[in-house]
Amino acid sequence: MTASQTLKRLVTPLVDPAVYDFWAQKLSPTLSWDRCLARIESRHVEARDTISLILKPNRQFQGFQPGQHLNVTVEVDGVRLSRSYSPSDALRSDGRIRLTIKAIPEGKVSRHLVHHSKVGDVIELGIAFGDMTLPKEAAAWLFVAAGSGITPIMSLLQTLLQKPLEQPVTLIYWARTRADLCFSEDLHSLGRRDPLLKIHTVLTRESERLTNELDGRPRETLFRNLVPDLERRRVYVCGPDGFVGSVRKLLEPQAALFRAESFSPAPVVTRAGAPVTVTLSKSNLSVQVPSGTPLLKALEDSGLKPAYGCRMGICNTCSCQKQAGSTTDTRNGAVQNEPGPVRLCINSANSDLTLEL
Amino acid sequence: MTSSMTNVLNRSQKKVNRPSDDQLAAFGAELDALRERTLADLGERDARYIRRIFAAVRYTEVIGRGLLFFGLFPPAWILGTLLLGISKILDNMELGHNVMHGQYDWMNDPHLNGKTFEWDLVGTGDHWRKTHNYSHHTYTNIKGMDEDIGYGVLRLFPEQRWRPFFLGQPIYAIIFALLFQWGVAIQDLRFGKFFNGKKSGKEMLDEMKPFLKKTRRQLIKDYVIFPLLAGPFFVPVILGNLVANGMRNLWTYTIIFCGHFTADVQLFPKSVLKDETRGHWYFRQIRGSSNLTGSKLLHVMSGNLSHQIEHHLFPDIPAHRYAEMSVEVRAICQRYGVHYNRGSLVSQFSQVIWRILRYSLPSKYVPINASA
Repeated sequence: MTASQTLKRLVTPLVDPAVYDFWAQKLSPTLSWDRCLARIESRHVEARDTISLILKPNRQFQGFQPGQHLNVTVEVDGVRLSRSYSPSDALRSDGRIRLTIKAIPEGKVSRHLVHHSKVGDVIELGIAFGDMTLPKEAAAWLFVAAGSGITPIMSLLQTLLQKPLEQPVTLIYWARTRADLCFSEDLHSLGRRDPLLKIHTVLTRESERLTNELDGRPRETLFRNLVPDLERRRVYVCGPDGFVGSVRKLLEPQAALFRAESFSPAPVVTRAGAPVTVTLSKSNLSVQVPSGTPLLKALEDSGLKPAYGCRMGICNTCSCQKQAGSTTDTRNGAVQNEPGPVRLCINSANSDLTLEL
Repeated sequence: MTSSMTNVLNRSQKKVNRPSDDQLAAFGAELDALRERTLADLGERDARYIRRIFAAVRYTEVIGRGLLFFGLFPPAWILGTLLLGISKILDNMELGHNVMHGQYDWMNDPHLNGKTFEWDLVGTGDHWRKTHNYSHHTYTNIKGMDEDIGYGVLRLFPEQRWRPFFLGQPIYAIIFALLFQWGVAIQDLRFGKFFNGKKSGKEMLDEMKPFLKKTRRQLIKDYVIFPLLAGPFFVPVILGNLVANGMRNLWTYTIIFCGHFTADVQLFPKSVLKDETRGHWYFRQIRGSSNLTGSKLLHVMSGNLSHQIEHHLFPDIPAHRYAEMSVEVRAICQRYGVHYNRGSLVSQFSQVIWRILRYSLPSKYVPINASA
């Protein structure tokens, strides 16, 4: 433990992090007692509706491994919202992080970052997670990306190509049209740098294809033609849920190793009364409860005893952090898909939930 | 508005007028609609507001404490004490009280979370969340359930039985006002149970632990650390902190007493809870609360508890919205003939003082009216 860490531990009981952050941020907007904040240093357009942000995180940042993703928290119209994005670059010696983000039509966070974020804005980063990382030993790879699923793959490729490749590496990259392709130039120059790297782009909605472009959905013939030695390849796939599912069916039985990440789909909403699983993260417990029933009552019926008070949404005693899932306010029917505090007595589950209880 | 609704208003009886069940249902629906409209509109503006209040607490505190270091110079002492008092009042009311109601939980900001926020008072946030957010707000003015009725020390209603003890109440009231934060802090500890043997010393001590820990922190901060920082000029710092805490105590006491103990507010028996509908609940909150009229400054400095009625109707809506909501609440009350109790600080507080003085003396015990 360094001297500064020891000092920090000693003074922690005396410090109110909110007050510390308030004053520290007068000096530098990313200073924080216990939160990882990052400043947007630059932004540039990567493709249609897609930008890259170069971020300078503060000292709370714990790093990431190429291929992992980070929770990014921004404030949109007064509300803090979090989404997961992958750094799209190898680890950099200057400690900067490149995030590449595509604005999706209903995406509050992605639209905010792509259309409204400015150089100098501060965003919050969580810890990195994900197991699509590179092992130490060399291997033959097949990377399959669709849409903004290219971002972790790009980080992996950049990292691999820091040294001459020892075994073949193939990237098959799906996008709708040429205008949606990210990192075209980077990919082009990477492809020329190492003869063992093969890059194929597949465009599903482009009217005219260039010579080296393919089209259509994932299918067995396409993979067999492009990667005849599939059984020795380790396969990493990243893309929308449906895409990942179909690639999994085609490749998982054959490949040497198969890992996939899909963009978190919206919580699966069930009809009222159907059972959902509520995971209580602090108690390390999960219970089945009927959806549509106020959570306080549902949890009590399962034999649990969460703290409660008025049972009518007034006193906030039963409030706890919802970490994931969709809930409905039973008083007005408002659906909330975002994480945040929920009062158990006036909210019911629409989907599986994770509560900090 | 239909003419039948207007007819409900019976001016001679407006203070005790109780709308019918159907009317109360419609009344409740109108208030619910107002609530939904406001909730739907929460956003950037409210986030900016509460952060400005947070900043105001910080700046007034630093400048106030800074000036107190030069407290040997009387103008610096006076201004420093005043600013520190203002900081403590804002922290207690517009920031702490309101954040701890969960009014800003929708922002999902860990520093403004109702369940974890802690304030610059000896009472712990957790005690407060129980006695105030739960007991007082759920059971507002229900005799035997809302412990804020006289705080166990004062007799303010004829529905409380007179005992000779209450003869001294004008004095207790002043002591209670000066030490208000301590009174509130120990409200949930129930020393009475300990003194009449219903609770062991060990139980009492265990329950007191969080309070003692918080108290120690507060006392060390105001009466050890900051005076020490002033070196040889520690005396004015100690005095300044003492007076600032006293100012905050007197002010919060005044505001809170004006909210529930003015002349026209009503107590309720426990029986009202049986099958109480949303409309009845709203009606009870209005009948048990009273507002203060005044400047914007009064509203901010009172944590918008000057809009006590709106606060009791919508305890989880950001309090700075109460001013605009009060216009509609008044109009709704008028339509249903529900008395909307408001007055100036002077007029409302005079009524509080009158209650303190009047009910220190014997009066006929009025059994609480089951049909209230």
